[in-house]
Amino acid sequence: MRFGLIVPRLLMLVVFVFAGCGGGEPADPGTDEIKIGAIFDLTGPTADIGTDYADAVRAWVDWTNGRGGIGGRQIDLIFQDYAYQVDRAEQLYSQFVQEGAIVFMGWGTGDTEALVPRVATDRIPFSSASLSHRLGDPEEAPFNFLVATSYSQQFLVSLDWIAADHASGGGSGRPGVALLHNASPFGLSPWTQLGEDYAAQAGIDVRLFEMPRGATDFTAEMIRIRQSEAGYIVIQNTSAPAAVAVRNARSLGLDATIVCLNWCANALLVDLAGDSSEGVVGGMPYPPPWVDAPGLADLKQHLAARGDDVSDRTTAYTQGWFTSEIFGEGIRRALESGEPLTGESIRAALEEITSFDTGGVTVPITFSTGDHRGANGMRMFRVENGAWTPITDFMTAPEVR
Amino acid sequence: MALDCGVFHTTYRSDMALRRTPVERGRMGLFILLLLVFPFLASPYWLNLANQIAIATIGAIGLNILVGYTGQVSLGQGAFMAVGAYGTGLLTLRFGLPWGVSIVGGCLMTAAIGTFFGLPSLRLKGLYLAIATLAAQEIIEWVVTHWTALTGGTEALVLPAPQMFGLRLNSDFNFYWVATGLALLTALFTANLFRSRIGRSFVAVRDQDIAASVIGVNIFRTKLLAFATSSFFVGLAGGLIAYYRNIVTWERFTLETSIFYLAMIIVGGLGTIRGSFFGAALITLLPAAITNLGRALQESAPGVAVQLPNIQQAAFGLVIILFLIFEPEGLSKLWGNVKDYFHVWPFAYKRGEARGG
Repeated sequence: MRFGLIVPRLLMLVVFVFAGCGGGEPADPGTDEIKIGAIFDLTGPTADIGTDYADAVRAWVDWTNGRGGIGGRQIDLIFQDYAYQVDRAEQLYSQFVQEGAIVFMGWGTGDTEALVPRVATDRIPFSSASLSHRLGDPEEAPFNFLVATSYSQQFLVSLDWIAADHASGGGSGRPGVALLHNASPFGLSPWTQLGEDYAAQAGIDVRLFEMPRGATDFTAEMIRIRQSEAGYIVIQNTSAPAAVAVRNARSLGLDATIVCLNWCANALLVDLAGDSSEGVVGGMPYPPPWVDAPGLADLKQHLAARGDDVSDRTTAYTQGWFTSEIFGEGIRRALESGEPLTGESIRAALEEITSFDTGGVTVPITFSTGDHRGANGMRMFRVENGAWTPITDFMTAPEVR
Repeated sequence: MALDCGVFHTTYRSDMALRRTPVERGRMGLFILLLLVFPFLASPYWLNLANQIAIATIGAIGLNILVGYTGQVSLGQGAFMAVGAYGTGLLTLRFGLPWGVSIVGGCLMTAAIGTFFGLPSLRLKGLYLAIATLAAQEIIEWVVTHWTALTGGTEALVLPAPQMFGLRLNSDFNFYWVATGLALLTALFTANLFRSRIGRSFVAVRDQDIAASVIGVNIFRTKLLAFATSSFFVGLAGGLIAYYRNIVTWERFTLETSIFYLAMIIVGGLGTIRGSFFGAALITLLPAAITNLGRALQESAPGVAVQLPNIQQAAFGLVIILFLIFEPEGLSKLWGNVKDYFHVWPFAYKRGEARGG
């Protein structure tokens, strides 16, 4: 056999053998470790925030296992990077469920929405970092849970804050808002779900501007925003592109107030945008992990024990930790109920969580059979001297009539 | 089509058969038997992979008709799949058509749009045509994300689950039959296409267009027909993705998709049907294999774990480069070599010497 043929043949062999490693025997749900499946974006377009979220989930699992697990049972986190690719997400999801995962932690909006019917059929409680409002509606997504305030409600709170800020600054007439959003379902969801209706109700002029995927400059968008004379720019995108937009705005001399939602209101934005980020306002359903809140003590202690510096971590870290914590609480209650531990019993246990106190980290978390959106409020922060500083107490999302 | 050594046909019927020797027929029978038994033995993980491979095979055969058989390079694959997916989805959502009808509608729509974007092929060849189809990719992507009234813009289209006889067709198990059946039909159609006058004219255009035109092939018509046929199947792949996943978003049909499909047919083997299947299988299984290899390493060598995601990305590229270096004619040729080796096994004249063909 010529050498030239050996290499591709060996490669083929490796591919088929290892593709075959997927899908082992399902574990016995009665006594073994509790398996939690997860997909993270560590190399894809949202890796900027995905890495911290992933680290936090893994840290929470270490911390919990170090304290004896849940109800004496250890947690086995099975996870992989999926690089924000929907196909990979679906493969990994079915692989992990096959391996016995009874709870699943997802990531992006596109893949979470694509998985909704599967998750409902498999009866796997599913948490996503995507906070698309409709994923919290049990009629549409019976096994999906939103552990933080949805994008739509974040946008509503931001609009309330803008209206108040506009009035207190002596502004007359309606405040003009530019919603600068990622070109995806993730980017648009605050507008299409509730946002449009509430803007009309509250009398706020909102115009939409899209941030094309992969763009490295948003000067054109900023010039159009300047022409629209909007006094406020709400950004719904991840930190890296948002930082570029903030720099572009400042270098054009645009003095509109910039308000970041969930995924760009974090330390990364300050790092990337530098001085331009001064004065940027951020709506944070989860604060940075170094703020003063009793609920963050465990997290800080765990990080310190590992020799990790809490000040390097972003809001995504807090979100990853508490998303795990609340699912952990659901699992603990399901075990205590004496029912066999299944996706079904965990969902029932999660739905009984009422006014769960996160120790000042978030508004109290409440789920019910009719509503899987755990929180409906957040605090506003502002970058002052290069650090996020709280400027309001918790604000609750208004009702949309 | 080269005849195997020692095979003599004594009737026209046997000469023109699709599978000409008992061994070929046996192998095909075995393959189909495997396809029939597979879903009953496979886990959902494997079924999911198999369905992805079946859909990718249809898309790759479609692209191969254009690139491999007719020699017209296309970078618009992702966009044409988007047309198929959105066409199918919108026909269902706006007009309430049943899934079967809307998929056919989506395919026809893709064929029409593919033909339109094939028009520059009369004047452009090679890299120049590639750039023209790149324009198609960008234009279609732009239209899909900006014509909000029609496509919903960057919002996702959520489709109802396809039903047949009260069964939900897009569960992994049920969809397997739909996707595999359609992949087999696509392969059968294409195999026969290239035994016909039209198919041969495609190949003639690829090999030497001036000579083809001298012997009476209408080049423009042939090229457009190739674009239409190719796009039809590419649209079918798009429509199937829409129904399998229940959801259509533009993010799935970017330039990256076009490049992945080109990689499939190049790694698999240009201008062969089995190459399309091998390529689709490899490009689908490779990331899964790398993931599982990574997970195995994670446990044994946790130090590597931090860099693992990056290594996985690099490994994917490396494997493809190695394939191209060591077997530039693709997996299809590799399969041919294996067959040749066993053809005279164990009495090879010169051990391991692969015959041409």
